[in-house]
Amino acid sequence: MSKISPDELLKKIKQDEDQQGKGRLKIFFGYAAGVGKTYAMLKAAHDAKEAGFDVVAGYIEPHTRPQTMELLDGLETLSPLCVEYKGIQLKEFDLDGAIARKPELLLVDELAHTNAAPCRHEKRYQDIGELLNAGIDVYTTVNVQHIESLKDMVASITGVQVHERIPDKVFDEADQVELVDIEPEELIWRLQEGKIYKRNQVEKALNHFFTIENLTALREIALRRCADQVNKVAERSRQDMRGEYYREEHILVCLSSSPSNAKIIRTAARLANAFKGRMTAVYVETPRFKFMSEEDKKRLKENIHLAEQLGANIETVYGEDVAYQIAEYVRISGASKVVVGRSNTRRRYGFFTNPFTERLTEHAPNLDIYIIPDQGGSPHNVRYLRQPRKKLRLSEILKAVLTMVIATLIGGIFGRAGFSEANIITIYILGVLVAALLTSDRIYSVIISIVSVLLFNFFFADPKYTFTAYASGYPVTFVIMFLAAFLTSTLGITIQRQAAQAAGTAYRTKILLDTNQMIAHEKSAEGIINVTARQLVKLLHLPIVFYPSGPKGLSEPLKFEDNEEVIDFSKYTTENEQAVAIWVYKNNKRAGATTDTLGNAKCLYLAVRGAEGVYGVVGIAVGEKGLETFENSLLLSILGDCGLALEKDLYAKKRVEAAAQAKNEQMRANLLRSISHDLRTPLTSISGNAGVLRTSSDKLDEEKKQQLYSDIYEDSIWLINLVENLLAVTKIEDGTMNLHLQAELLEEVVDEAVHRLNRYSDKHKFVIRHEDEFVLAKMDVHLIIQVIINLVDNAIKYTPSDSTITITTRKQNGMAIVEVADNGEGLSDESKSRIFEMFYTANNGTGDSRRSLGLGLALCKSIINAHGGTISVHDYKPHGTIFRFTLTAEEAILNEPGTKFDERAILNEPGTNSDEGGNPI
Amino acid sequence: MNKPLILIVEDDTAVKNLMVTTLETQNYRYHTASTGNQALTEAVSHNPDIILLDLGLPDMDGVDIIRKIRTWSNIPIIVISARTEDKDKIDALDAGADDYLTKPFSVEELLARLRVTLRRLSYTQNPSASDSTFTNGNLKIDYPSGCAYLDDEELHLTPIEYKLLCLLAKNIGKVLTHTYITREIWGSAWENDVASLRVFMATLRKKIEKTPSQPQYIQTHVGVGYRMLRI
Repeated sequence: MSKISPDELLKKIKQDEDQQGKGRLKIFFGYAAGVGKTYAMLKAAHDAKEAGFDVVAGYIEPHTRPQTMELLDGLETLSPLCVEYKGIQLKEFDLDGAIARKPELLLVDELAHTNAAPCRHEKRYQDIGELLNAGIDVYTTVNVQHIESLKDMVASITGVQVHERIPDKVFDEADQVELVDIEPEELIWRLQEGKIYKRNQVEKALNHFFTIENLTALREIALRRCADQVNKVAERSRQDMRGEYYREEHILVCLSSSPSNAKIIRTAARLANAFKGRMTAVYVETPRFKFMSEEDKKRLKENIHLAEQLGANIETVYGEDVAYQIAEYVRISGASKVVVGRSNTRRRYGFFTNPFTERLTEHAPNLDIYIIPDQGGSPHNVRYLRQPRKKLRLSEILKAVLTMVIATLIGGIFGRAGFSEANIITIYILGVLVAALLTSDRIYSVIISIVSVLLFNFFFADPKYTFTAYASGYPVTFVIMFLAAFLTSTLGITIQRQAAQAAGTAYRTKILLDTNQMIAHEKSAEGIINVTARQLVKLLHLPIVFYPSGPKGLSEPLKFEDNEEVIDFSKYTTENEQAVAIWVYKNNKRAGATTDTLGNAKCLYLAVRGAEGVYGVVGIAVGEKGLETFENSLLLSILGDCGLALEKDLYAKKRVEAAAQAKNEQMRANLLRSISHDLRTPLTSISGNAGVLRTSSDKLDEEKKQQLYSDIYEDSIWLINLVENLLAVTKIEDGTMNLHLQAELLEEVVDEAVHRLNRYSDKHKFVIRHEDEFVLAKMDVHLIIQVIINLVDNAIKYTPSDSTITITTRKQNGMAIVEVADNGEGLSDESKSRIFEMFYTANNGTGDSRRSLGLGLALCKSIINAHGGTISVHDYKPHGTIFRFTLTAEEAILNEPGTKFDERAILNEPGTNSDEGGNPI
Repeated sequence: MNKPLILIVEDDTAVKNLMVTTLETQNYRYHTASTGNQALTEAVSHNPDIILLDLGLPDMDGVDIIRKIRTWSNIPIIVISARTEDKDKIDALDAGADDYLTKPFSVEELLARLRVTLRRLSYTQNPSASDSTFTNGNLKIDYPSGCAYLDDEELHLTPIEYKLLCLLAKNIGKVLTHTYITREIWGSAWENDVASLRVFMATLRKKIEKTPSQPQYIQTHVGVGYRMLRI
């Protein structure tokens, strides 16, 4: 009576599977330094050790209090890694040492620690993630102020900005959290006793951080956070137990390059936490993104990273109208709440547009909007780089001037014709619209609008050819004309921009679609990788290194570059770089340049994932700058496609293999069944006859004895032939792998086969005809001899004595052809269609047909097919049967200088060096 | 002339009995050994004329025995083995064996191989002609003039055919592997050389054999190599 839906169940099973082999994380959680986290951790470690676990202290902060350090006695300690960074010797946790040591439980202090640059990961929690993946249980410690989403809250209480922070996810996903708690008064007492900091630091600490108010507030936050975590765990298990299913809240936060955006993101994350919902961070990329300053771009990247760390899904949409794009995204994704900053709401877009929030409400009336006060108060103005106008300026100015001149000329004609001024104004407005469409910048619209008003004033308003106007209505006319012209031109520009935007989006969509289709068309893993890498190069214009996954980890890197440039790849495929790629492969996480992990690598490495694993690693020589958001999202989609395609390919291969194996199994089983039956008869004859001869030889007359001897001999010959066939079967069973192919002369092969047959075929006549000389074919000679023997043997078996058996070889259309013909009774059509089936025998049904296994022809067919040839059966005129098989013929290049089968007599000395072989003396 | 002494090295009693019985019917003298070490001792102490060697011995690999014997003696060795892979035969031949026989073999086959080897021995022990000429049945090679004759008629051979003939003649009675021959003739052992070798061998046979499909002088050992027989 379980209410758990199949999907939920699957998810749970998947989680359980993930859990297997993964280490468990326990966090000792405190609200300030000195509450005794490390002490509690070491105590727990001793308990675990007594319980028989293999416990190792991986890294304990050396500044820890003496009472705590005493607890280290009796624990195995991993020696720290000494790294030199900017001339300073630093001691860091030795991650590789820990993984190599692989204890059951490892202690690593200070979860929020930031590693020195030479280390693999930037943050210690990443080290710990790797340890957990390696199946090692970890105990660690952290203080409340290090939790990312609480940063602002802690900063507002204590006035201290904490730089070392851990994502909430790490904390929430810990298997156990133990709160280490003492009264703030006691903590302060401890501090005064000098148990936490050295004497000279105590005073400073007491004044700044360690005040009763601060500590009480921090303690409250810590207790709450801990309760939240417990609540979450309980929630999860309740869901599992009762199959309760919440409609998830979906919280949307807008990303921007503003420094205050971080706070908004954190607030959104807390909100998402409180609502137990998921969070999506959306960035609306406007056309002006291109001109954003480097500083802003960097901040945007940081904000995106922050959102990612807080567990948000990152999405990028493209459009000019931010509010509209967000509203659209809300509609599609079904988000229920959106978080925006206050400064955002004040900013206006254009002259006549409403504030952002109002427009958002307009587009999405059912959305909850949370407005967060920004820290700085003053709205952040994005600094854009000067747009590169110079290139087009002259031509655009010319276009603008030309349209104005034409408008003026037409206006002049209209004036002469006595049309009203309204017509002339219309002509100018039309001119402005045309100019706006022809030029690319808003500034032209403004100028042209003004110029058009001035021109009208100068040429057409009385008094003509002056900038003054008599009529009292003219100022109003000019203003209206200006406004009309300006609005028209603005619309024109907007249309143009939107077209450009649409083209950009179309381009991206096209690349994705193209890639998708090209990948779908590829049949092999190599092809898929090739297409993917080429598309990436086309998209990013950066050199790409692709490491496909092989049976033993990663294979040799494949290199791809832009056609125009020739790049020295050696610096991208050094041992170091390959090590990063291997790390990515093993950990299924990105690493290398522009990431926190192994950031000193030259390339950025991404895993090519399918649903069930990593199928390769792609390295992109990104350089310093890194990838832009939209490139990144496209890249991930393409790699996702590639991963799935590779996975599909792998499955297809596995299926084929499994099918082949099943077929082989079937064949083997059939074979064993049939031979164990068929072996009995000749063995009975041999052992029985030999037994008779041994015990009662004297009672038998000579003729009888001879009869028994020849029976034994014939049966053993039959067994020998059977064994040869079985050997051939075992070769074929593993597919073509075991074929030992060499160019052989058909004549030699046929002669050898006939030679072997001679010993038991004195009742039939043999004719051998080689129609072409020196026919060479690639073959496994023993198998082909076996084929000929089986065919001839069949002919002998199924034709009356004195029949003629003709073996013909010839070469035709690049194929070597062998025919075995007999002039026996021939085969019925039904037999002909089934004759190559396994265990088919011509006299089916007679249980005593021990002389034929029904294996021979089926085996011949397998052998010939494995050689890439064909075998067929035909009628022989006037009566009889022809078996014909073909093999690919080979051309021999005869390494004999100067001569080729000519009749020249040779006079050279024996034993001369082979090099001189062609020079007759 | 003394009856030749044959050393049988075989650990399987039934097969050993078969060989012993066969040799007894032909009045050959023989010794037997069933391990590699025993075989080496016997070979040193009795100096047999021919060794019949089973490759699958309990104490050491047959190919190693061949190599050891070859360090001090050129006693003809006929390898008898149940290993059917060509590679095993080729390894044994390249290590210095003269001939091989695959189990199951017929008694006639065994005796025929023994006769071939004994004929060769008698020839090397009593050279009938000077070193400058080679005679085998109706086939004659005159080394100084670089000419070959069949039934006293000069053969028109290409340089490579002539070289092949000389190589086989110098190693008469011994199975020469494809690799060995191509190395000697072309100095290399590429796959294409083996294909060429087959063609040259076929053309050579056409010139010296009366019925090439039942060769008298040059025997084919499929998958392994060629041998010239002493007639």
